[in-house]
Amino acid sequence: MKILACSKISDQGIFLNGIQQSIEKTTNNWKKELYIKLGVEYPKFYKMDALAKMAFLGFELISNSTSIDHLADDELSLLFANKHSSYDTDQKYVNSYMEKGSPGPSLFVYTLPNILTGELSIRNKWYGENIFFIQEKFDPEFFIDQINFYFSKGSNACLCGWVDSAKGIEECFLFLVENKAGELSIEELNNYYKQ
Amino acid sequence: MGIETGMERTVRTIYMTYGAMVTPLGNTPEDNFQSMSLGNSGVQKQSASGFNGEDWPLGKIESLHSDNRYTELLRNTCNALKAKHGQQLFQSEKTLIIISSTKADIESLPEDTFTSTRKIIQEVLSPKNAPLIISNACISGVLAINTAADYIKAGKFDTVVSIGIDVLTDFIVFGFQSLFALSDQPSKPFDKNRTGISIGEAAGAIIVSSVPPDSDKFYVEYLGGSSSNDANHISGPSRTGEGLFRSINRTAKRANINLKDLNFISAHGTGTLYNDEMESIAFDRLGLNNIPLNSLKGYFGHTLGAAGIIEILSTMLMMENNILLKSPGYDEQGTSCKLNVVRENTKSDVQLALKTASGFGGGNASIIIKKKV
Repeated sequence: MKILACSKISDQGIFLNGIQQSIEKTTNNWKKELYIKLGVEYPKFYKMDALAKMAFLGFELISNSTSIDHLADDELSLLFANKHSSYDTDQKYVNSYMEKGSPGPSLFVYTLPNILTGELSIRNKWYGENIFFIQEKFDPEFFIDQINFYFSKGSNACLCGWVDSAKGIEECFLFLVENKAGELSIEELNNYYKQ
Repeated sequence: MGIETGMERTVRTIYMTYGAMVTPLGNTPEDNFQSMSLGNSGVQKQSASGFNGEDWPLGKIESLHSDNRYTELLRNTCNALKAKHGQQLFQSEKTLIIISSTKADIESLPEDTFTSTRKIIQEVLSPKNAPLIISNACISGVLAINTAADYIKAGKFDTVVSIGIDVLTDFIVFGFQSLFALSDQPSKPFDKNRTGISIGEAAGAIIVSSVPPDSDKFYVEYLGGSSSNDANHISGPSRTGEGLFRSINRTAKRANINLKDLNFISAHGTGTLYNDEMESIAFDRLGLNNIPLNSLKGYFGHTLGAAGIIEILSTMLMMENNILLKSPGYDEQGTSCKLNVVRENTKSDVQLALKTASGFGGGNASIIIKKKV
């Protein structure tokens, strides 16, 4: 398997293929700043929760550095995981009926972590396979196993991600892998994640 | 693609057997089948269950009494697994446990909502390998079986125990109420007068293994499975059934079967106008209009992360007993495309069955299973 590109968004900054991007976080609303700086026009972005926003931005970054237009619309599988599921949105939604008078439907629909794979699929018109795991930490070996499973089933590429938002910590690590000759080691993947 | 997986399949046959099944209708697979055969439904009006005190019909397990229904149900299910299959199975280094749940222990917020899951599995089953958790909305259960098959085909494990579980909470009931998706009568999937979902709670487990079961045991063979996104809307079904259409096609290729040879479909069938209509369009596009089909949501309610697992278990029970169970709540065609919805319990020798699921986030998943020869 060959890694085509990766992006990382966290408190440590914004990275594309291991290189820090000169997009500064100047306000609390840094996701909006990055969205504007990337020059994307996709108003649905503003309705998304933090997980979906980060995954959206992470892939927009990746698509600035590599193209997967040669793939058919169902050859890409989305393999995602995080630790806290939809924790932040869960809390906000509970707050809507415990404190603010009534359960908020627009919050409720984001109380599932896999909504972000739906948002990516809608944005990019992808009809491939999707799966979302809950794990204690980012596990590169686990992802390599999963990628091999999906390649053996017929996928030609996988967009993988660790996207988490809870207790004040937000991070989004995405990597795009194609079913082509090349080695992707656990160590290499871990280094990209830790950047 | 089909040829490749066909070859893998000849290398490692994958067997599926009953693990456990705890629902409003019973505490074992056999009890559940008995109760469904009699036409019972676990969906009953629950007083003041709504946000404004409404009495929504819900599939509630009346025997759960503790403050935390989730941990109690998971513990009961793990204990049932241990009692029936012995603890050695779970402690083998060649065994993996997969959990499928949408919200797990959501009422433990602000604690992490999946922590108690790992803790209970450890306490009751003490597996060698840490459990793997899948949380992918209403298709989680079907994905848990597909993932089990992936691990077995690759030779990483010999046995995977896939457990699906979700419970009734204010979080879920208020949420579906806020979307105007709840039905004020027990849900009527595919019927003309359907008005929405009935939510339920359940847990189920399927043992997926490369080890041939004892000769007296019933099993089905896993032939193939897949998922596909609708790329349409995060909470509304596709108007063309595109994701479901693609997933079923992909699954049939992997299973190396012709869809015309299917004898039965266990559909998702939530009872909402748009979901059931979407499914009918996808089935119609695939020419599956005449294949007997049911939705089991009228027996249990929609049990979210447990649904795929308990509905595959029910399909296995129908195959073993040579009976197609009626689709509760169905009287009159209510979708634009014709479907062959099972109206009465019917004798039938089902060799090949398709199970489908669709959910929020645009996810669709399917599997095809074959009855023991």
